[in-house]
Amino acid sequence: MGTSRMRTGHQWFSWVFFCCCLFCLPAWAQSSLSRPLTYTVTNQPLARVLAELEQLADITFSYNPSRLPLNTHITLRVTQEPLERIIERICQQANLRYEWIEKQVVLLPQPPPDNPLEKVTLSGFVKDRATGEALIGTTVWVPALQQGTATNGFGFYSLSLPRGSYEVVYSFLGYESQRTRIEFDQSRQATLFLTESVPLLQQVTIEAQPAEVIAPQTGSLDVRPAAIQERPALLGEMDVVKSLESVPGVKPHSDGSTFYYVRGGQRDQNLILVDDAPVYNPSHLLGFFSAIIPDAINDMTLYKGDMPAALGGRLSSVLDIRTKKGNDQHVQWWGSVGLVSNKIGVEGPFKKDKSSFLVSTRFSRLRWLAQLANPNVEQFQFTDFTGKLNVEINARNKLFFTFYNGSDNYFADNGGIQWANSAATVRWNRVFSDRVFANTTVSGSNYQYALYTDRANNTRWNSQIGNLHLKMDVTYFANPDSELSVGIGLGGYFFDPGNLRSNLSTADAPQLSTRQSVETVLYGSHNLKINSRWALAYGLRLTRWSNVGEGFEFVFDANRQPVDTLRYAKGQRYGSVATAEPRFTATYSVSAQSSVKASYTHTVQNMHLISNTISPFTALEVWLPSSLNIQPQRAHQVALGYHHRYVQPEVAVTAEVFYKRMERQIEYENHAETLLNPLVEGELRFGKGMSYGVELMAKKETGRWRGWVGYTWSRALRQFDDINQGARFPAFFDRPHQINAMVSYDVTHRWNVGANWIFLSGAPFTSPVGFYSFNGLEVPLYGARNNDRLPDYHRMDISATLKLNRNLERKFQHSLGVSIFNFYARKNPLFINFNKSVAEDGTLKIPSDLLNAQRFTSQLYLFQFTPSLTYQFKWR
Amino acid sequence: MAMKQRYIPILLLLVSCQEVIERPLEADARDIIAVEAVLTNENINHQVRLTHPYAKQNGQAVVASGAQVTLTDGTSLYPLVEFPSSSGEYYSEPFIAVVGRQYGLEIRYQGRVYTAIDQSQGVEPLEEIVYEPVAEGGYQLIFRETGSLPHYITHHINWQHTSACTTAPCQGAVVQYDLKTVDAHEAFKPEKIPFVFPGGSLIVRRKYSVSPGYRAYLRAILSETEWRGGVFDVEPANAPTNLSPGAVGYFAVTSVVADTTLLQ
Repeated sequence: MGTSRMRTGHQWFSWVFFCCCLFCLPAWAQSSLSRPLTYTVTNQPLARVLAELEQLADITFSYNPSRLPLNTHITLRVTQEPLERIIERICQQANLRYEWIEKQVVLLPQPPPDNPLEKVTLSGFVKDRATGEALIGTTVWVPALQQGTATNGFGFYSLSLPRGSYEVVYSFLGYESQRTRIEFDQSRQATLFLTESVPLLQQVTIEAQPAEVIAPQTGSLDVRPAAIQERPALLGEMDVVKSLESVPGVKPHSDGSTFYYVRGGQRDQNLILVDDAPVYNPSHLLGFFSAIIPDAINDMTLYKGDMPAALGGRLSSVLDIRTKKGNDQHVQWWGSVGLVSNKIGVEGPFKKDKSSFLVSTRFSRLRWLAQLANPNVEQFQFTDFTGKLNVEINARNKLFFTFYNGSDNYFADNGGIQWANSAATVRWNRVFSDRVFANTTVSGSNYQYALYTDRANNTRWNSQIGNLHLKMDVTYFANPDSELSVGIGLGGYFFDPGNLRSNLSTADAPQLSTRQSVETVLYGSHNLKINSRWALAYGLRLTRWSNVGEGFEFVFDANRQPVDTLRYAKGQRYGSVATAEPRFTATYSVSAQSSVKASYTHTVQNMHLISNTISPFTALEVWLPSSLNIQPQRAHQVALGYHHRYVQPEVAVTAEVFYKRMERQIEYENHAETLLNPLVEGELRFGKGMSYGVELMAKKETGRWRGWVGYTWSRALRQFDDINQGARFPAFFDRPHQINAMVSYDVTHRWNVGANWIFLSGAPFTSPVGFYSFNGLEVPLYGARNNDRLPDYHRMDISATLKLNRNLERKFQHSLGVSIFNFYARKNPLFINFNKSVAEDGTLKIPSDLLNAQRFTSQLYLFQFTPSLTYQFKWR
Repeated sequence: MAMKQRYIPILLLLVSCQEVIERPLEADARDIIAVEAVLTNENINHQVRLTHPYAKQNGQAVVASGAQVTLTDGTSLYPLVEFPSSSGEYYSEPFIAVVGRQYGLEIRYQGRVYTAIDQSQGVEPLEEIVYEPVAEGGYQLIFRETGSLPHYITHHINWQHTSACTTAPCQGAVVQYDLKTVDAHEAFKPEKIPFVFPGGSLIVRRKYSVSPGYRAYLRAILSETEWRGGVFDVEPANAPTNLSPGAVGYFAVTSVVADTTLLQ
C-alpha cells in the first residue's frame, strides 16, 4: 500500500515536470539558439563539427546518417555569433536545412527544386596528375545529394544537378580522393587531376557506391595494369592476355598458350579490342607470350557476355583495352631487359596538357638460343611496336592516333612461319555540350599468316583477315540517373582463307575464293536509375551483314557434296543476314555497398575461325564470314549476380551464376582438311553448345596486401548430330573446378613479393578404347568424344621485386624482379600420346621401323620450375 | 607442299619434357572387326587379315577366325581361304587386280556381313633410291616427295645375310607416305627415330598407288599415328572406312611397282 502511494506521488511529480518543460520549451529553444558562441573549425567533416557543437552548445542534432553528407568538409570561424547563425552557415555549406523539433535540431537535406530547368551541369575530364592519362571509371560523387556518375572510356563525366553549392568527391581506386566545393550556379567544365596514392598506405574512402556494385553489367571485370605487373610472369614477360587465367569464368588452354575460353565459348568467340581495333592473334612465339604488354595500357575491362551495346561481334567476351595516350606533363623513358625480350618506351608532351606522344617497342632475344639447337636457324624473333599521338585541339575537341604492329618470324632450312598483326585507330572526341559527348573512331586491323615451304622461291601458304571500321557514338547525360547512348558502325572485312603463293607456278594449286563482307551496325543503350534501389540498363544492337563479290561459293547437298558453284560479280551483294541483339540488366541496390543484378544478353557472331587443331599453340589461322554455308553463331545468356564491397578491409566480393545457350556452333568432320581446301565449308558441322556455372570472387586492391581469390564451378557441353553419334559431350574447355589466387604484398617501400596459384580440373580429351594394326601402324580406336581427362592442372608462381633506388623521389627509378614460374615444378601435361617409342638417346620419338616398334603412352609438358630475372627502369 | 618444319620443335625442345607414363585405358571390347586388305596388280595370293581390336598398346590382336571371305571384280568371285587355320589370315588364289576395275570384298563373320569396294589407280615409276651414311656407321634412307600422284613406298630392309647381323632380327620395315596433302599437323609432325642399317643390306621397295578413298583413310590413320604428338595435332577421331558399319580398317585396291637394291 505504501509503495502504491509513493508511485502515485512520483507520477504526479513527473506530469508537473513534463508540463513545465512543454511550457518552457519555446523559450528555452529561443534562448539556446540566440546564445552567442565562439567556434573555429577548418576543413573538418560535418560529422565532427556536429559532435563538437553538441558539446559546446549543449544541444542535440538529429539526422539520418545515410541521407546526410557527413564527410562534407566544413570551415567556420565565428566569434560571439548566435548558435542559430552558426547552424545556418553549416547548413549552407552542407546544403542542408534544419528544423527545431522537441529540443532537437533536426537536420535534413535540401529538397531538390521542382523545376528541372533549375539544373546545371558539371562536366569535364579526370586525369592522372603525374601523367595526364585519363582515369577511366572515376567516381564523381555528390554526397549531399547521394548522386554521382563515373567517367567514361575517355575520362569524361557529366553531372547535372540542382542549383546550389555542393562538395564533389572524385575517387579512383589507387588514387587519393579529392573533394572540391563547387558552386552549381551555372553549367561549367572542371578537369580534375588525381594523385596516385602510395600503395603502402591503407586508403579507405567509401562514400560513393562502389563501381562494381552499380556497374550496369554482370560478368564484367576491370583489371588494372598495375595488378598485371605485380603478377608473377613466365620468364618475366608480363602478359595482359595470360593474366586473364586468374579471372573466374575464364579457362586458359594450357601452359604456353594465349588461348582462353569464356563461359563455355570457343576461343574465336572472344574479341580483343585495342583502342577499338580488333587484334586477331594476340600471341607471340606460338602463344608462349602475348603481344599486348601492360606498360602501354591505361585501362582494361573484360566483359564475359553482358557487354555494352556499343561492343559486339563476338559471342562470349570482349576484352576492351585502352592504351595510354602518352604523358602530357613531362617526358619519361621506361624499359626492361629480360631473358626473352627487351622493351623500351618513351612518352611525353608536345605541349603540356595539350598534346602528347608515346612510342614503345619490344624485341625478342632468342635467336642465339635457337641456333644452339639448330645452326641453320636464320630468324627466330618477335617484335612489337606501339605508337600513340594525342592532340587536344581545344577544350571540346581531342584527337587520338594509335598504331600497333607485332610480328613473328621463325625461319630455318628454307622453311618458316611468319605472322603479323597490325592495327591503327584515329579517334575524335567531341564534347558537343556539357551533357553530350561524342566519339568517332576510324580503325583498321590486318592479320597475316604465312607458312613457307620453299623460302628461296617465296612459296608459302598465306592467309589474311583485315577490316576497316567507322564508328560514331553519342552519349547524352540527361541527369545523374539517366544516360543514353546511340551509335552507328560501318565496317568492311576482307578474308583470304589461305592460298598458295609462289614465285614459281601455282597453277596446280587449288584456288580458294577470297571473301569481302560489309557490316552495318546500329546500337543504342539507356542506363536508368529508377529510384534509390532500382536501376535498369537496356540496349539493342542491330547488325546487317552482307557478303560482296567478287568471289564464288559452293552449294552442298545433304551429304555435303558440292553440287554447284555460285559466282558473284564485283560489288554484287549476297548472303545478307540481319540480326538484333538485345541486352538487359536490372540492378537492385540492397545497400550502399551491395547490389543484386540480373541480366539477359543475346549475342551474334559473323566471323568464324576455322581450325580443327587441339594444339595450344597459334595454329594456321583461317577465318571465314557468315555466308551461304555458315549461318551466324548465336548465344543467349542469363546471369544473376551479387556484389558487395566491404569497407574495412576494402574487399569486393562477387558471386554470379550464369546459363548460356549457343546455337550454330562449329565443329569439324573427323580429320577435316582445313588448309588449301576450297570445299572446307563441307567439312564443317553445326550444333549446339551450352554452359552454366557459378563464379565467386573476392578482391582487395588497396593496402599492403592486395590480390584476389576466385572459385568457379562450371560446365561446357556440346551436341552435334554428326559427332559422337549425336550424344552430348564435354567441350575441351569443360573444366568444372577452377580456383585462382593472386596475392601481392609490399614488404617495404622497396620490396614487393607476389604469388599466384591456379587450379583447374583436367581438360577432357579423347583417349583410345582399343588399337588395331594396318600397314604396320598401330591405329587407335576411339569411343565417345572426350571420354577421358588430363590430370588436374595446378601451378604456383612467385615473384619478388626490389626497387634499387633508396630515394624513391629520384628521377631515375629502376628495379630488379625475380620470378619463378611453376614454383613446385608440377608436371601439367599438354598432351598424352600413345604412339612413341624410346630412342637410343632416351628421347621419345615416332618409331620408323614398323616391324620391331614398341610404343608407349607418354605425356608432354612445359615449363617446370622456370626462374627468370628482369631489370626495369623508368626515367622521368 | 608437305614439308617438315624444324624450327618450332626447336622451341619445344628447349622448354618441354616428355616421359613415359602408365595410364590405364578405358578399354571397350566392342564387337568390331579390323580389316587389313590390300589388293595389288601383282599376280599373287592376295591377303585379307581379320582381327579384333586389342585393348593395350603393343597388344596381341585376337584373330577373327572362321570368316567367309570373298573378293569379286563384278564378274568373277575369288573365295579366300584361312591359312594357317585359326590365323585370321585369308588368302585368294593368285590373280591380278586390274587398274581401273572396281573390286568388292565381302566378309561373313559371326552372322554379320561386311562389304567394301575400291578401285585402283595407276602408279608412277619408282625413282632412284637415296640413302646416306650416318656418322655412327651404317646408312639411312633419305625421303623426298616424288611424282605428282599420292602414293606410299614400303621398304623392307634385310641384312640377315651379312656379317653385321649379330643380333636378331636384322631386318626392318620403313614406310614413306607421300599423300600430296597440306596439313599443319603433318608439317609439324613429331620427329622419328632414325632407322640405320648396315652396308650390304637388301632393300625391297614397293610403291603403292592410292585411290582417293584410300588416301583419305591413310591420311586419317597417319594423323592418329605418325603425325600425332607434334605441334598442331587435330582432334582425335576414328579413321573413315569403306567397310560397312561394324568394321574398321580399309579394303584397298592398288597398283604396285617394286625394285630391289643391294646396298654396296
